Amino acid sequence: MSISTYNGAAIIAMSGKDCVAIGCDLRLGIQNQTLATDFKKVYKIHDRLYLGLAGLATDALTLNQRFQFKHNMYKLREERNMKPATFAHMVSKTLYEKRFGPYFVEPVIAGIDDDGTPYITGMDSLGAMETSKDFMVAGTAPNSLWGVCESFYRPNLGADDLFETISQCLLSGVDRDALSGWGAVVYVIAKDKSFVRTLKGRMD
Amino acid sequence: MEYVMGIKGKGFAMVCTSATAVQQIITMKHDEDKILPLGTHTMVATSGEPGDRVQFSEFVAANARLYALRNKSKLSTKAIANFTRGELATALRKGPKSANLLVAGYDKGKGASLYFLDYLATLHSMNIAGYGYGSWFVLSMYDRMWHPDLTEAEALEMMRLGIEEVKNRLVVASPTYTVKIVDENGIRTIPL
Amino acid sequence: MASTRLNVPGLDGRCAGASRAAATLALGGADLASLAGGSPVASEFPLPAVQDLDRFENNVQELVKPEHGTTTLGFIFRDGVIIAVDSRASQGSYVSSQTVKKVIEINPYLVGTMAGGAADCAFWQRNLGMQCRMFELKNKKRITVCAASKMLANTMYSYKGMGLSMGSMIGGWDPSGPAIYYVDSDGQRTKGTIFSVGSGSLYAYGVLDQGYKWDMDVDTAVELGQRAIYHAQFRDAVSGGTCSVYHITKDGWTKIRGNNHYDMHYQYYPGGHPTAANDVI
Repeated sequence: MSISTYNGAAIIAMSGKDCVAIGCDLRLGIQNQTLATDFKKVYKIHDRLYLGLAGLATDALTLNQRFQFKHNMYKLREERNMKPATFAHMVSKTLYEKRFGPYFVEPVIAGIDDDGTPYITGMDSLGAMETSKDFMVAGTAPNSLWGVCESFYRPNLGADDLFETISQCLLSGVDRDALSGWGAVVYVIAKDKSFVRTLKGRMD
Repeated sequence: MEYVMGIKGKGFAMVCTSATAVQQIITMKHDEDKILPLGTHTMVATSGEPGDRVQFSEFVAANARLYALRNKSKLSTKAIANFTRGELATALRKGPKSANLLVAGYDKGKGASLYFLDYLATLHSMNIAGYGYGSWFVLSMYDRMWHPDLTEAEALEMMRLGIEEVKNRLVVASPTYTVKIVDENGIRTIPL
Repeated sequence: MASTRLNVPGLDGRCAGASRAAATLALGGADLASLAGGSPVASEFPLPAVQDLDRFENNVQELVKPEHGTTTLGFIFRDGVIIAVDSRASQGSYVSSQTVKKVIEINPYLVGTMAGGAADCAFWQRNLGMQCRMFELKNKKRITVCAASKMLANTMYSYKGMGLSMGSMIGGWDPSGPAIYYVDSDGQRTKGTIFSVGSGSLYAYGVLDQGYKWDMDVDTAVELGQRAIYHAQFRDAVSGGTCSVYHITKDGWTKIRGNNHYDMHYQYYPGGHPTAANDVI
């Protein structure tokens, strides 16, 4: 079994009209053994920027700590939050620094700029960025997730509709993957209203 | 075969490990203590390669003690677990330590906690956790029996049933086990 | 004996003789033929025209490995036999079906469970059903669980090394009472009171051993079977879907339950599960 499917993960990010959403499943497993069902793979960078890390859980934990540290240092120096695009390039650079001994993670970044413009990007474990206008997925069930997203996604959705769409995509997608699922959590980020909701999912 | 299980109950955490020291096909010892105290209210149950297991858990214990001496304040269970994770994660890409740990503790105001921390430095707080082939049989049994108001007596009965199950089903089960509990009164060994 | 072969120039004919002989032998030869009265099952399978048949079949097995994950269990108690199974089929980590029927109803008094290769289990247990029916017609009495499981084990043993994959429990009721036999594609066959087979079997054993009592009433036994499957589906990534529970008495088998894992979970744990130690959010 591949190292990037050792723990299992599913992450989707979607952009709407002046809002973005990012969601992940909640399983932590070791290969076929489920260990916990409350392991979140999306981390908050600041109020308008979230980072999802799929792949090897230990590297996700390590990288989240490094990014929190780097973002804190940036805030101290610049006295402002990072813009999503700036943060994404910082993530990309950090991953490429380990070109010959990579962190086994696939990041997905979702945020909005000060004016509410959505920003979504995904990356491979070496930091090759792929920005997207509509949606981005990562994890152990990319085929299922791409499939549902291609089918259900509509441009310019409002925050509530975007939440509904990403939630249905996430739940349907992970139902065809043995290594992810066991519940999900979705973060919706908008200029005026942001919210987070836990989804009831299949627990098998 | 090494066996480690942990249970978090209401106001306490309990861990159990096999008590055998094994060399190839020989059981050298039946009373090896694989649960190390890290201060008065935190302990770590260990499994993995004998050298790494002992060296690494003693290193963590020494650092926890050093911190307490320097700062006149003990590290919380969460802090110890995260410190340990950091060390394991750093080691992972240099010379990995083959040590699977359960960090159990009791903190005033916060209550009991149980952390799963494997040799890859995957850290997560859990109600029930375990390592080894034995965990395959016992985790599902504990899922069935665990509830949020679990008492010490109930947890001990779960430990007994777990050991019984492993001895009954696992070809390579160990003959002897150690059980320890940590609660507001500190760490105690529970005779089986 | 007319056996179809791949017409591969150069390869054809080099190995087929030996392979075909093996296949005929494998079918149990005279024994099975006389019992079934000229079995309608093809007594020859077309064999691929390759030089090393055993190795080829083993490679094929690697390519078409369905039903990787499974949890099945069976136990005997005071009031009969309980058989419980999950319903997931997976290929690697892909869930290819959540609605597989893993209990094969061989006849009204006999069921078999499926673990391993879906086709191998389904085909040979249907074949077993036919053999059991032939036995009934010939001997004017129902076959025992002991004899039926032995026929399956003989079939399995005759194909040993050819890449069949099956781990099955044959459960039923005969004049001597309730019985369960474990039969697998290695040729192992053994009688017992509690069995569990498949990738999630270890999890099922944990729950089963803890809750099992000979003196249980039927409701408790059915619930125990369901609960063991439920927990195995929860912990084992490649087991899941639904849980079916069968009860076998002197009057034959009845399907008692068929519950979706989602419904079972939120019935058992409306307020959260033991593996969740942290408040999500």
